[in-house]
Amino acid sequence: MTSINREATPQDPQQPEGAQTLHDDLHEIWGNPRGIKALTIVNHTTLGLRFMVTGMVFFVIGGVLSMLIRTQLATPDQNFMTPDIYSQVTTMHGTVMMFLFAIPILEGLAIYLIPKMIGARDLVCPRLTSLGYFCYLFGGIILSFSMVLEMAPDAGWFMYTPLSSSEYSPGLGSDFWLLGITFVEISALSAGVEIVVSILRTRTQGMALHKMPIFAWYILAMALMIVVGFPPLILGSVLLELERAVGMPFFEVAGGGDPLLWQHLFWLFGHPEVYIIFLPAAGIVSTLIPVFAGRPLVGYGWVVFAIVVTGFISFGLWVHHMFTVGIPQLAQAFFSAASMLVAIPTAIQVFVWLATLWLGKPRFKLPMLWILGFLIIFVCGGLTGVMLALVPFNWQVHDTHFVVAHMHYVLVGGMFFPLMAGLYYWLPLFSGRMPSETIGRWGFWLTFLGFNGTFLIMHWTGLLGMPRRIYTYEAGNGWEIFNLLSSISGFVMSAGIAMVLIDIALHFKFGKPAQHNPWKADTLEWANAMPPSAYNFVSLPKIDTRHPLWDNPDLPRTMAEGKHGLAVTSHGRREMWGTDSITGKVREIIHLPGNSWWPFFAALALAVVCVSLLTRVYALAGVFVIIAGVFLLRWSWENGAHPKAAPDAEVRKGDPPLHSRTMSGPGVWAMATFSIANGSFFLSYLFGWFYLWTVSPQWRMPEVSPLSLVVLVAAGVAMTLGAGVMERLVRGLRVNQDRGLARGFYMSALLGAAQVGLVLWSLLTAGLEPTRTSHDAVLLVGLVYALFHGALAMILSAMQGLRVRHGYVGLHAPFEPAVVVILWRYNVVTFWVLVGALGVLPRVIGG
Amino acid sequence: MIWWVMLSFATVVLVAVTALWLYTFKTRDVSRTPAQERRVARRWIVGGGIVLPVVTVIALLAFGVPTGKRMLTLPLDEPPEVIEVTGHQWWWEVRYPGAPNGVVVTSNQLIMPAGEPVDFHVTAADVIHGFWIPRLGGKIDMLPGRINRIRLEADEPGVFGAQCAELCGVGHAHMHLYVEALPREEFDAWLAARSEEALAELATSDPAFASARENFTTFCASCHRVAGVSAGTIGPDLSDLGGRTMLGAGTLAMEEGAVYQWLRHHQTLKPGNRMPQHDDLDTDTLSGLGDWLETLTP
Repeated sequence: MTSINREATPQDPQQPEGAQTLHDDLHEIWGNPRGIKALTIVNHTTLGLRFMVTGMVFFVIGGVLSMLIRTQLATPDQNFMTPDIYSQVTTMHGTVMMFLFAIPILEGLAIYLIPKMIGARDLVCPRLTSLGYFCYLFGGIILSFSMVLEMAPDAGWFMYTPLSSSEYSPGLGSDFWLLGITFVEISALSAGVEIVVSILRTRTQGMALHKMPIFAWYILAMALMIVVGFPPLILGSVLLELERAVGMPFFEVAGGGDPLLWQHLFWLFGHPEVYIIFLPAAGIVSTLIPVFAGRPLVGYGWVVFAIVVTGFISFGLWVHHMFTVGIPQLAQAFFSAASMLVAIPTAIQVFVWLATLWLGKPRFKLPMLWILGFLIIFVCGGLTGVMLALVPFNWQVHDTHFVVAHMHYVLVGGMFFPLMAGLYYWLPLFSGRMPSETIGRWGFWLTFLGFNGTFLIMHWTGLLGMPRRIYTYEAGNGWEIFNLLSSISGFVMSAGIAMVLIDIALHFKFGKPAQHNPWKADTLEWANAMPPSAYNFVSLPKIDTRHPLWDNPDLPRTMAEGKHGLAVTSHGRREMWGTDSITGKVREIIHLPGNSWWPFFAALALAVVCVSLLTRVYALAGVFVIIAGVFLLRWSWENGAHPKAAPDAEVRKGDPPLHSRTMSGPGVWAMATFSIANGSFFLSYLFGWFYLWTVSPQWRMPEVSPLSLVVLVAAGVAMTLGAGVMERLVRGLRVNQDRGLARGFYMSALLGAAQVGLVLWSLLTAGLEPTRTSHDAVLLVGLVYALFHGALAMILSAMQGLRVRHGYVGLHAPFEPAVVVILWRYNVVTFWVLVGALGVLPRVIGG
Repeated sequence: MIWWVMLSFATVVLVAVTALWLYTFKTRDVSRTPAQERRVARRWIVGGGIVLPVVTVIALLAFGVPTGKRMLTLPLDEPPEVIEVTGHQWWWEVRYPGAPNGVVVTSNQLIMPAGEPVDFHVTAADVIHGFWIPRLGGKIDMLPGRINRIRLEADEPGVFGAQCAELCGVGHAHMHLYVEALPREEFDAWLAARSEEALAELATSDPAFASARENFTTFCASCHRVAGVSAGTIGPDLSDLGGRTMLGAGTLAMEEGAVYQWLRHHQTLKPGNRMPQHDDLDTDTLSGLGDWLETLTP
């Protein structure tokens, strides 16, 4: 096994004397602080665990809510809850399980595992992990707090307007939902962006895409789907909150809006979301089955194909949640067919798993028990799904408890059971200890039987005609006994889950110490110490197989002895490989930032913004938006050649340069990935504009556009010139040319300021009445979007100028301008599209 | 019937897959060359992963598309009866614009002719509601500001249940619709009995209820319409209330004294409904109102 920086010679001062010294030195650099400073931790292992533990806490909360529901429905004519409280409980059960449990816990698992599986030492934007965690935590707390106030959202977890509008939901419930969920989604997006970049750019040396563990493929797809899928919901939430708070009629028919726009934006997110949950769970199955079958996954290529196809199709399916809103028959047929196409990639995976077991020698361990449970429940959910797809049958059972049962079979079977299998599988890695096989089996069987008792029976209740979402029912329909059985089984299931949770909690203290790689797995995460150290690996290996630990059982030992790459500590930096996105060839050394308060403070400031928006203290919200912005910018200050980043760029002879000394490092990739998310937001906005324009029943287009085209074009020219200046500077840096660098940055900032001023002018002179017509409200949102992005580009360019003066950026550290210029490019494209869509098209086509 | 076919099919599939899965755990000693392994794997994946779902999907589409088409409101040689249904929080307004003696309006009951296609034009007055008569098929959303159309046909006369199919707020569970299909002649008679004149005659003719009518004008008229007495449109039209089978959108069966019960206890019977509680009115006033309204049986 060769590695490019290991020509160990006796005179090499950095060559560690022994593995233990190396370990201690690495611990010095990577170790976690304790006490209050634990809030500054950016390490993915710690944060991944925090995500998962927090997710489990919310799972328990969501579970308690479901117990309340089952108590209310256990017997007819119950007065345990009023209909109002019941609506709050059901809405929060769905919301908590979807947004605060399912997505975050899977993200947490990915955050924890991905770097370990791909042979990296951390995720590529560690501070972003921390920001994401605190946004999730604070958002979740704010949202849950609404229940304590008895002000929880009650318009359903899908928040259909006008029911969720200020007129029909006058309380704070919907605001809690919209603001809290948007806050939590910052976390999902952060995780999405950094996981994409981590998988694409920080795999260890030689790990080409086709040698990547299959789990990484699933997570890559999940992360990309989050990046594309969440922005539509963020836009929808922002618009609905604007409507509720200040009365901009985006969804209100009388003001020219359309409630269906909310449904489109919601399901543009909501359908991919089902697969965002399902794909990682399927990834767990695809990881575990080969290990327990003792042979490689059959048809790796087929599975990758299935993953990619699922990802694409899922974005074409949102309308199938809206078949009943009255859309054209042709569109319906198209979306019907597309919905059914998803069956193909799913079936491929199921049969790949079967074939792998068939051709292997399976062992039946506890994780496999959960996989078996997954298989039975998920297939059952799939079969009832096919029944529901049969239109005439759908008429009979749609909106009855049959659908509730089906949905839980798919979600619990498709997500929870694989997750449990995964937890039991990786538990020895998390803790270094084995859970109790006995309690584990009891927990499984109680959960499995309780689940089927609850929901298998519920199919029948639905067939007898019991509708969904009713808070009580009369005696005499023949539903009583089935509801009672469902409720009892529900409590059995809870007991099972409690047992599992207790088992997991206890094993951290009492579990038998696990032997190394207890399941005889093939992937790199098992080359970690158990539990893992903060830096994961003492040295980073070169990989030339999909199954490193099977093909080279000695690898964990040699890695721990520092016999592979980057076992250098004298520089005091947190380092790992940056590799080519496809081939896995080493391109640079990525140096990661250390622990930092900024993410915590930024998240805290955002939490204050969220709370002040809820309490309608808008001035305070404004102040804290600025404070959060300052924190985030201050955070970005500690990059490049800053003393806290990498002031010294020395690398060992033969090693590639530090990423801040190149121009295509992970920051560029992160910015590009973020631009995809931003672009998805922008396209959703454009969709909204054209949708309202063409479809909204009472849309009013003014005779003359209120926007001055001349001013907007002038703004666009200023911005394009500014971007041109940036481009020239970056091109210069690429050929080692830095004349007038600082001046150039200030110049582009000035041009940016001109654009911002002109856009502001056109906004102020347009005389918009955004609370009167949706047309004006949409224009306002578009212009504010342009203003925000213009201002951001301006500030970042000005900061680059300052940083050149400080010596943090320049020929010796040319990395950041290459990142900032991407924002400029994005702005130029979107601004001209915006001018065309809002300013030119209405003039050409007319109302 | 279709249900039993599907149930047995589903059970067979479930048992087969589970058995297959468990069978793989049995220790077998088959040694295969890599080429053989690839062949076996390909057979599994192509057979189960592609052929199986494709065949199923085609079968489903072949079955589903023709049925879906029937519900489109395509032009017919003979224009069908049109019934307009509007969802309110939490009751149904039903209008017959094609009735021979002017528009007929009723609430919380939908009487339709059997044996012929009927076009429903549905919309909502406040939030989104769901129009759906399970036995007749076709669910369609009722959206504020928009009219959705659907064509349904009851083959035989009969009574069908229906309930709002889109979460519409606190009263969602209490938003039932009584649906009955009548033979054409009976339906025509039903419509004729509800002409403006006939209903007004019914409401105003009996002098015994003069004071009830007066109380109605004072306390109820701003929200409710009774033909010949009042013209409120905020709450359900009550012109033929006595002739309905249920009260409060399916909350209470229409029996003697039911209207009084409703007036007295409606916030308990249907919590959160939009009608103010009339605790200020004494029993005589309320029962007088109830007695009168129960006589409105065209």
